Amino acid sequence: MEFWKRIEGIDRRWIYLIVGIAVIVPFLLPIPFPISITPEAQMLYDHIESLPDSVTVMLVFDYYPSTIAECEPMARSALHQFWRKDCKIITLSNIPLGGPSMAETVTREIAPEYNKVYGEDYVNLGYKANYVAVLSGMGTSIRSIFPTDNSGTNLDDIPMMDSVFNYEQVSFIFEVADNATADYWVSIVNAQYGVPMGCGTTAVSAPKYYAFVGSGQFVGLLGGMKGAAEYELLVEKPGNAVIGMGAQSMVHLLIIALVILGNIGFFMLGKHRRRVS
Amino acid sequence: MKTSFPVAVAFLTGMALVVSFFFREGTLVGDLSKNLKIWLTIVGGFTLLLGVVSITRVNWAGVKRQKSGWGYKLLTLVSIFVMAIPSILPASWSPLFGRAEGSIYDWLFTYLDSPMMATMFATLAFYIASAAYRAFRARTVESTILLLVATIVMLWRVPMGEAFLNLFPGDLPGFLNAFVMNGANLAVQRGIIIGAALGAASMSLRIILGIERTYMGKG
Amino acid sequence: MIKSSDMARKALLWAIVVGPLFLVTIVTAQDSIDTSIAGDSLASAAATVVDSLDSLAAEMANVEDTAPPAEDTTEAAVVAESSFRYDRINAAILVLVFSAAILIFTRWARQGKELFLRKIPGLEAVEEAVGRATEMGRPVLYVPGIAELDEIETIAGISILGRVAKITAQYETPLMVPVRYPLVLAAGQEVVEQAYIEMGKKDAYDKDMVRYVAGEQFAFTANVNGYMMRERPATNIYMGAFFAESLLLAETGNAAGSIQIAGTARPEQLPFFIAACDYTLMGEELYAASAYLSKEPIMLGGLKGQDFVKMLIVIGIVIGVILVALGYGDSYMQLFQSV
Repeated sequence: MEFWKRIEGIDRRWIYLIVGIAVIVPFLLPIPFPISITPEAQMLYDHIESLPDSVTVMLVFDYYPSTIAECEPMARSALHQFWRKDCKIITLSNIPLGGPSMAETVTREIAPEYNKVYGEDYVNLGYKANYVAVLSGMGTSIRSIFPTDNSGTNLDDIPMMDSVFNYEQVSFIFEVADNATADYWVSIVNAQYGVPMGCGTTAVSAPKYYAFVGSGQFVGLLGGMKGAAEYELLVEKPGNAVIGMGAQSMVHLLIIALVILGNIGFFMLGKHRRRVS
Repeated sequence: MKTSFPVAVAFLTGMALVVSFFFREGTLVGDLSKNLKIWLTIVGGFTLLLGVVSITRVNWAGVKRQKSGWGYKLLTLVSIFVMAIPSILPASWSPLFGRAEGSIYDWLFTYLDSPMMATMFATLAFYIASAAYRAFRARTVESTILLLVATIVMLWRVPMGEAFLNLFPGDLPGFLNAFVMNGANLAVQRGIIIGAALGAASMSLRIILGIERTYMGKG
Repeated sequence: MIKSSDMARKALLWAIVVGPLFLVTIVTAQDSIDTSIAGDSLASAAATVVDSLDSLAAEMANVEDTAPPAEDTTEAAVVAESSFRYDRINAAILVLVFSAAILIFTRWARQGKELFLRKIPGLEAVEEAVGRATEMGRPVLYVPGIAELDEIETIAGISILGRVAKITAQYETPLMVPVRYPLVLAAGQEVVEQAYIEMGKKDAYDKDMVRYVAGEQFAFTANVNGYMMRERPATNIYMGAFFAESLLLAETGNAAGSIQIAGTARPEQLPFFIAACDYTLMGEELYAASAYLSKEPIMLGGLKGQDFVKMLIVIGIVIGVILVALGYGDSYMQLFQSV
């Protein structure tokens, strides 16, 4: 019984240590397991594949640097899929801290692979404050909200924006978010302007957005690093998300083991207390 | 006047936004919301400046009086200005200025800010493990069901766990997706979303009509 | 006398609100109405009201046509259509029903009608939790969320802060309110100062009770966690919009030995608060908290109005489920589309 008491009151730093080991070991000794594709990820991929080539799409970088591990692989894979179809990409962000920078970094890194030129094939609008105003304002006129791109060039001087004025010229919006801005994209943009949307989000937020997939407001959904890994496999560009699956598996199994251990201890101590009383 | 003016402004702007929703853009009434939202964007930009002023004032006061921990307050002030000033200066003066690749701002963001934010987020893994160990107890029938379902969903969301679930007869992952995520979870999320949306709408209406004034410190 | 007039008002309310819904249900079940016609039928009554606005808008549109050329080619086509969005008539009806319900119940509450509210354990525990902090001689930490003041959850958090500040003023318990945005700082300071003045404890108020900590999410969290581990507040209250830092805050508070009461309308953060806090307010309970703590009839009336509309939505959902099961759901569902 002394054992169970010690287990029950274990210093949380031991748990932190075990979690740390569980995260590090799979990177050193990878054990590959097959990754299945969920219907939601498949629906998202299929919808983008069904878009006509060379259409204009929006890729929204609404995630903070803290969730790069989950969200950036989704954005990268989306770029690969869009550019294979020669889509024109408008990137923007509603996150002041790093959103435009991350969009800049990722697009400029992948663009040379497809011979894409800034201004002709993609543009980074940057960030503007108050996302409700931004999202609804772009429905009337993108230029009223973003008169210039992120580096200060007038949108009228950017060739790919010659024929893009508002959401009517945008065929699809892919929102990669780690916060509630996806709710506003759905309620303002999809509901009022009818632009098809897909969403990639963190594992914490993903359960909420199943409701929007069910109602057809999102054509598909990527949830967390698993969703990112599925999308990487679908676009045949396995990357950091696929690699991270090993560590995620180990930590999930560890947490399940801790919960089981905690409950066994709880019941053993409960039985002992009842016996004593 | 101190109370009635803000209430009047809240009423007029709130009603303008609600009414203009039902009118087409390009009309007098329909454009009200568009113009108000542009004003909001401009005001939003100024509030960022307000934050810098506020944090500078508070931390400088601490440094001047050398309150305990004043070294950290000084570091805060230095960090703000080292990051902000080079990013505001024109890039044409030096490649270190501005926000382009290679600038001071970009370097600090990429090599200091991003890793620190990612590290803080990563500590969630440790916290959830200790919270799960401490708090997830099968005390009642409901919490037992919750624990069992949560365990199975956690297994399903990782390749190793899914491989384990596939050992059982039937299509357990498919069942989980269809009946748990797209069934029970979807229904509950919808209920909470609808309830929260109604609560927000009710609170908004109370603010617009001046019934709720506690955010101003009144009533 | 009062009872019969109450019943008459109730009957009137039901007739105004439920009647049209019932009528539409019967009509769509017969599958004999086109939803666009239905929209026009409903809109024709509204058209007499908006006619004057229409002509005014058309005049302004003519003025706009001669003004600098439209930025988008679609604008000219847009102006030629009717200025009132008949495709949004369903939203207009919902707004009117919702507003009517809130106003009617608020009026009833003002007239002294007793309104039942179920107990919310988290809110019942607030005063007790502050009392605990006073006994232990330790402060109360209140976090009004980490979103901007334009988020309705933050406004709810600031409203509740006013109530909590009155209790801490009464017990003379130290209060610490870290905020993430300057506008929230200004609102929070105003609310707390007012609370202390109303309790006659103006001297006990310190402007630094509400302090701007950091604009970045995890910098804010690190600062608050550091405060928790150093000062060991006896009570932590989290009311507002929270994101990934919810578990970081709650778990640190638990490690510091604080009693914790949390409330958020973000469904994805609720599991973390439920796991780590002693009491959790879920979704709309956060918005009800201000009314609940004040016990003012007007606020309670607003709550009841909201519940009434929720009941209507439930009825609408049940009707929809039945119609879809019978195969007549398409027309009914189209009534709620195209917002």
